[in-house]
Amino acid sequence: MRIDPGTLRNKRAAKDSRILVTGAAGFLGSHFAVALLESGYRVTAVVRPAKKLGARERIDRIADWFALENEARRRLTVVEGDILDPGWAAGACGSLGTIDEIVHCASSTAFNERRRAEVEATNIDGLRNVLELADRGGCAFFHHVSTAYVAGRRQGACAEGWVEEGPFTNVYEETKARGEIIARDACRAGGIRLNVYRPTIVYGDSRTGRALRFNALYFPVKAAVYLRDLCLADIRERGGRRAAELGVRLAEDGGLVMPIRIEVARQGGLNLVPVDHCVRAFMALFEDALEGGVYHIANPRSTPIEDLIAYATRHFDLSGIEACGPGSFAGRPRNALEVLYDSYLEIYRPYMQDLRTFDAANAAPILEKRGLVCPAFDHGVFDRCMSYAVEVDWGSKLFAG
Amino acid sequence: MPRIVPEARATAAQCRHYAMCKIDYLATGLCPSGPEKHFVTFYPQGRMDLYRGLAEGRIPVTEALLEAADTCSLCGICDPQCHFVTGLQPTSVMRALKAYAEEFRREGGQAVRPAEDEALRRLRAIVGRDWASNDPAVLWTYADDPFPLSGPQMPRYVVLPGSREDVAEVLRLARELDLAIAIRGNGGSVFGFVFTDGIVLDMARMRGIVFDLDNWTAAVEPGVTSFELQREAFRRGLRINAAEPAATVCGNLVCTGTFSTWSNVYGTAADNFVDMEFVGRDGRVFRLNEKAGPNHYAFEHRVAPSPGICTKAFVKLHPATDDEEGLLVPFADLDGAVLFARELGQRRIGLAVAVLGPHYIAGFLSPDEDLAGRLKEALPEALGVSHVVFAIADRFARDAIREMAPAVIDAGLLRLLMLGLPRLLEPRWLDLAREYEGGRPFELLCRPEMRPLVEAALLPSPETIAEAVPESLRPFYRDLYARPEMTDMVWLNMHRIVSARMSRRKHMFAFLVYVPPARLDVIHEILDGFARVAEAQGLDHDFGFLTPMDLGKRAILEYDYYLDHTDPAEKEKIARAMPELDPWLDGLAARVPGVMSLKYVFSQGCARKEGFLYRI
Repeated sequence: MRIDPGTLRNKRAAKDSRILVTGAAGFLGSHFAVALLESGYRVTAVVRPAKKLGARERIDRIADWFALENEARRRLTVVEGDILDPGWAAGACGSLGTIDEIVHCASSTAFNERRRAEVEATNIDGLRNVLELADRGGCAFFHHVSTAYVAGRRQGACAEGWVEEGPFTNVYEETKARGEIIARDACRAGGIRLNVYRPTIVYGDSRTGRALRFNALYFPVKAAVYLRDLCLADIRERGGRRAAELGVRLAEDGGLVMPIRIEVARQGGLNLVPVDHCVRAFMALFEDALEGGVYHIANPRSTPIEDLIAYATRHFDLSGIEACGPGSFAGRPRNALEVLYDSYLEIYRPYMQDLRTFDAANAAPILEKRGLVCPAFDHGVFDRCMSYAVEVDWGSKLFAG
Repeated sequence: MPRIVPEARATAAQCRHYAMCKIDYLATGLCPSGPEKHFVTFYPQGRMDLYRGLAEGRIPVTEALLEAADTCSLCGICDPQCHFVTGLQPTSVMRALKAYAEEFRREGGQAVRPAEDEALRRLRAIVGRDWASNDPAVLWTYADDPFPLSGPQMPRYVVLPGSREDVAEVLRLARELDLAIAIRGNGGSVFGFVFTDGIVLDMARMRGIVFDLDNWTAAVEPGVTSFELQREAFRRGLRINAAEPAATVCGNLVCTGTFSTWSNVYGTAADNFVDMEFVGRDGRVFRLNEKAGPNHYAFEHRVAPSPGICTKAFVKLHPATDDEEGLLVPFADLDGAVLFARELGQRRIGLAVAVLGPHYIAGFLSPDEDLAGRLKEALPEALGVSHVVFAIADRFARDAIREMAPAVIDAGLLRLLMLGLPRLLEPRWLDLAREYEGGRPFELLCRPEMRPLVEAALLPSPETIAEAVPESLRPFYRDLYARPEMTDMVWLNMHRIVSARMSRRKHMFAFLVYVPPARLDVIHEILDGFARVAEAQGLDHDFGFLTPMDLGKRAILEYDYYLDHTDPAEKEKIARAMPELDPWLDGLAARVPGVMSLKYVFSQGCARKEGFLYRI
């Protein structure tokens, strides 16, 4: 190994480590980078320029969103670069000098097979480039942010071990699993320590509701709110003919009746981790798991879909949305809203009725030592998260003002 | 010195010379002076040139210029006509031209009146006093167009013959006086082939159309445009294989052989007519079908001159059925679309067929360039549509296509999408499509159950689509899109009135190549080659379309370069690109059977297509 735990601990204590974070403009990447900075580390963020914003502007905007102190910002270096560029590692190696540790967060979370090329490019080719930089740039510790869903279609308890083969539910799971093995082999060969972090589904901050991305949990809710707004506008402004064709009407209390049956299994639910817990868990593992290993960051309790529906209908003043068991559509075929919703949720279905549990034999002792417990996903948390999502228009007004 | 208005000058310089102001394609009526005077000088296009000519100091104030300014009534018809295809509003230029003329007179200016020389006197003796001119302002309106590889060339005379006999006599006189001739159909040529320092023959007065329904033909004189003939055919329940709407039928037949999306079933070149009448360069009149006449049905693999001046074409008429509709089959990649289009050709399914990319689809559907730009981006990025196969099909063919394709945008849905386009591109709606992971968003969109939802989201109506255009034009667009034909893909595609929108953002420079559609490798080589050369020169470029021909054995492929024709640097770029393209395409054609650049077909449009599609 390039570094022993004692030396690493001392180097970190001296805040002498230079930590490179990929995907630093992303959801988890930005949270981890900010947490590292707030803990006193020196961070180099690798960021792609966006269409209308340079890398520095992107990061500044995110730092403002976090209200990051100037003192912490002074320890942040922003490097414009694209890890998908085949020549990136060689170039970065020359320009960045020695990198002590790398936190690799850059990832594509697309599930759809039609986006396989894009997902493979990011999750496999991009990873290889970052590993090449790790190898050539003197990196001693590689922190690979993965997902608990590398477990694929396994049932029951999933261990914090390597997943060598499928079956997988989608290209995301498959490439993340392949990525872990690639990282493992490269780090072994290069004498680089490796931590693999495997969160489940990450949403906003459980205390404030704030979030930087509104995917996963948010998508189906956002779709329902969009449909609600469409139907309300049709009813209030255009006589409601089209809403009526969709079976949508105003309830006596002024709320909206939107008949959508969502097919779910009778057991299981969504495993949701708030980003605040995910960050705390990451920092605990980063600082205390110095030997290297694989760590689940999961919620011990899944949230049933029925609960989510109840939270959503109450929060958005909706009724008519209901969970139903398989076979419910035999007597009454799907209406347009149900076709849309069913199609929309299809790819998330394996996560909605998840019977997998994520063993935390490696992570639990470290988290327990710091008293870290994953917050429950209840109505209050849902309210805070969705209020914030609506406030920032599901992300489009995130940086406004 | 009268003042030049900079904004008007800039607008005038952007005129694309597509002559869309010379055809009544939106049923607004024409600029009143145009059909009376016939010279392009008296249409908005000519007046745009006059203003640019004055601004650049190219022409003096002449009697004809003052007349052109005076005969503009500022009726405003040219604004919607021009905006529909180019986004320009010429009325500001017309107003500036009239103000210039008034100021010139106020300042006591004397308009130039060129003397009649002997040649002009003899030309006028042939065609009549009003139909031949040497007025510099008139000449200037026949001297230039956006073709980037040559500068303006002033002719000595512009002559408008009224008959075949006029044409023959003018040709004999030109020969006697050793004057070169350039023949002009209706406006300019985006390829720059209509300029000369001798006589420009403008065929605009020869506008006869005689239908012979028993023989399924229309005898067409050379001033008749494709739009006008199609309109007349359509009124009779018939159809022609049409060129661009403002192109003259005869001119297009001679030059390119007329190809369109309908070439899938109607073919090209000699397939399009039963016979043609020409006046040869020696003034002799002949028909192509004469056994003793020159054989212009044969194709020569070289750049060859035209047979002469076409004075009449007996154009084939085709039957139409009342159950034809347009549809789009979306694809996530080009290969799937090309193979599907080819299969339609092979199986003889559908009538007009074409593979279109996002640039064309967006241009066709959007009445505004900004909207088109956003749609072009959203189609692949949010909706997962890389290309579409566009088809016109009767009900039997539509049933077959539905069986063959995973998703079909039928005429009803297409109408909703067109009329609701501004809403389709709203961020919330696009976000939903972008975030849809269940499959391809367009497949969901195409499901019949989704129709009420699409309606609720897009609020499709003439009012909605009119939101996309400048406020002053909204009432016009509301009325326009209330007309059923404006969302009827059969009518639109037959009359081709949206095709000029491809050049709305910038002048288009089109490359056409016949290809074997089964050879995807060759198609990619061609597309990559055009893209590579354009990128090297910093030119905008895009795939145009591909239409199968001859039962899918061959296809015609268009690739387009785009440039600001008012920018000298852009002209230099295309000038550098051209020498790279020719040898590369020639090499490819020598290597791959079925590859043939349209450059070699040019002026041999009367040839049998077999002569250039196949090389024995």
